[in-house]
Amino acid sequence: MHTEHTIESPNERQNRHKAMEAVHILNALKEDFKSPLKSMDYFYDLYEKVYCRHEPLHEGKTKIGTMCIQIPSEIIYALDAVPIRLCNGFYTDDEIGSDLMPQKSCPLVKATVGWFASDNFTDKPSIVYSPTTCDQKTKAGVILKEFGHDVIDVGFPRTKESEESRAYWRESVKHFAVNLSKFQGKKLTRSNMENSIKKVGYAQSLYHRLCDYRKEHKVPILGVEMFLITNAFFFDRIDSWMSAVEKILLELEERKRSSVHVAGKASPRIVYTGSPPIFPNYKIPLIIENSDALIVADESCSSNRMFNDMVSVDEWNLYDMIDSVSDKYLKACTCPIFTQNDDRIRRIVRLVRDYSADGVIYQAFAGCQVYEMEQRSVLAAMEREGIPILYIESDYSPSQQGQLTTRVEAFIESLKNRKRMKK
Amino acid sequence: MKNKFSLRRVVNNMNLVRFRFWFQIVAFALIVYGGYIGLDLGDKLPTFACVFNSEGTGGKCYVGELQHDLKSTFDTLAGYAGYAFLISLGMFAVWFWVLNKGWCGFVCPLGTMQDWLTMLREKTKIRFSEYSWANRGKIKSIKYILLFLLLLLPVMIANSVFGIPKLPNGLSMPFCDICPGRMMIPAFTGDFNQFYIDFSSKTDIVMTTIGMIMTGLFLVGSFIKKRFFCYFCPMAALQYIFSKPALLKLYKDGAKCTRCGDCYRACDMDILEIADDVTSKNLVTEDCTLCLKCVAACPEDGCLEANFMGATIFESTKEGFILRMAMDQNKENHAH
Repeated sequence: MHTEHTIESPNERQNRHKAMEAVHILNALKEDFKSPLKSMDYFYDLYEKVYCRHEPLHEGKTKIGTMCIQIPSEIIYALDAVPIRLCNGFYTDDEIGSDLMPQKSCPLVKATVGWFASDNFTDKPSIVYSPTTCDQKTKAGVILKEFGHDVIDVGFPRTKESEESRAYWRESVKHFAVNLSKFQGKKLTRSNMENSIKKVGYAQSLYHRLCDYRKEHKVPILGVEMFLITNAFFFDRIDSWMSAVEKILLELEERKRSSVHVAGKASPRIVYTGSPPIFPNYKIPLIIENSDALIVADESCSSNRMFNDMVSVDEWNLYDMIDSVSDKYLKACTCPIFTQNDDRIRRIVRLVRDYSADGVIYQAFAGCQVYEMEQRSVLAAMEREGIPILYIESDYSPSQQGQLTTRVEAFIESLKNRKRMKK
Repeated sequence: MKNKFSLRRVVNNMNLVRFRFWFQIVAFALIVYGGYIGLDLGDKLPTFACVFNSEGTGGKCYVGELQHDLKSTFDTLAGYAGYAFLISLGMFAVWFWVLNKGWCGFVCPLGTMQDWLTMLREKTKIRFSEYSWANRGKIKSIKYILLFLLLLLPVMIANSVFGIPKLPNGLSMPFCDICPGRMMIPAFTGDFNQFYIDFSSKTDIVMTTIGMIMTGLFLVGSFIKKRFFCYFCPMAALQYIFSKPALLKLYKDGAKCTRCGDCYRACDMDILEIADDVTSKNLVTEDCTLCLKCVAACPEDGCLEANFMGATIFESTKEGFILRMAMDQNKENHAH
């Protein structure tokens, strides 16, 4: 007997571990729920292709890495490049990054840093734009630079009320556009910018149409499915993403006609807020939806915050288009990095009312200081509004499952009781 | 789903820019040329229907009438002239209450001319200019100063106030002298006779020269700054005093507002409150022209609305926003 023995390289090992994480979540989505959407197959295939088989999606295109939602994808598409959002949800990468970042850092940032440290990409970004949002993201950009990646800081203000902030951010976006235009050797024109604004706008309008179904009494789509769809926008080819969502909309319409409800009759409706669930870190959303509750809306930057606010142009000339795009990423943004954040609170309350939610679940990644700090004001505001809220801290580790499940289940039980009492 | 053909939905989905463009043309025609078909809406109109466009005008501007009314001695003002003044003012208020500031955004011929100049600038791809917020706040008071002067000067012609001798009669229509409407509106009927400097007296030289300068500023200013003249308009100041009970209103539901600022960017008058104020209901502020561009630019369902006597006539909807921005379809190449 003779067997060929090869030693797995670190990158192969990393890929294998990431594939295991990915498959685990995809299987849970496919098999744990009573009525999975057929048209979700596109997304399962997409994630398998990228994270299990590690096949590139954008061969021949320039990939532009973005560290946060604030880098305008409209400008990247207009310059014929592809935005790749680098926010990472893999525990495998988080572990690699842990050696390079302080112990109490945000797992999302650690995972991004770990990913770059291993330099193991299927669609490697040629250049990375890093908006100066939270401290950790800002400083992580510098670490990536030390690894030899091309990283450009894009100055982002941390207040949004003032005139100076608006002007500063508009200038930052202009610099970004000029810089990228040079990098790409392509001119930003009125027509390519207009087309790209309308294209991204159409993608956003599809998101809003998906959300309309979640407002219904009988909800035909799961929260985790929504997260998978919106998350794909981080890296997918925009045209295929849009046609896949169009198909989902058709299936939802069909389901609406036959009154399909993906949860139980008494399942509490939840608004999720806080640190973004990014594939495959769907730990909390999965616990919620496996505990007989349904996420009907969210306020997080991997979903709602990415799609909710659309660019509004008054004069379709380049000057106004760039300003409108800039304003969208600053003024409407509910990111907790801002000093005051009444807008985030008002958004959560609005979502609870519009989607007839029974409660809010607020997750903060351990180490995500801004979300941790904003917990106080959000909890106080929810109390004022009479909206039940559960605050949980977690990270990317597969441990804690039991403890988290207990807390979420208890909260959902109390919501059910509350619902019964109201009747 | 909502009824596809409901009137409400059609209205909310309308292309406001186009609707307003045509509405303004019709209003402009009635105000500037209405006289030729015998239209006379009286002399208490809360908009610049210019008395100097004597044959064409379809009515007369109340600011002109107001200056005339006040040119009486205190004795007569305390008597019948006072009654006449109050009745005129009442008539003005009644006219004004119908459309509120909508007179500015939809009817005023000077406003319409400025919007045409804005369109011209947009075609030439020159960016509009803006005031800094600090200056924007400061210039707010200018219109009230102008209003105060136009009320005071006619009184001071007829009377000696605080021992100051009576002012020369050349100041009897002080605002008309410097109003760009006096030159611009008759020009549209081919009458360029108002472009002159009157050398008959020192006062006339000064006033008509200021008038010529104002018209120049009006043309240049509104080319580079949207609705440049409206920031300084004493008619707007006078109107705002009566704005609260008006029938047409701009309402905001602050709970639905994301403060994204789309409305502020659309606003020709750079009114910050429209985006940032999430507590007031009535958003007809002193500089508002009720053009309703903010409602059309708002992507939130039911956040902003035009309301007539308690009934919503046009409100912001996501669907309408998406249609107006042409984001309802994935078209690779949009026609321009």
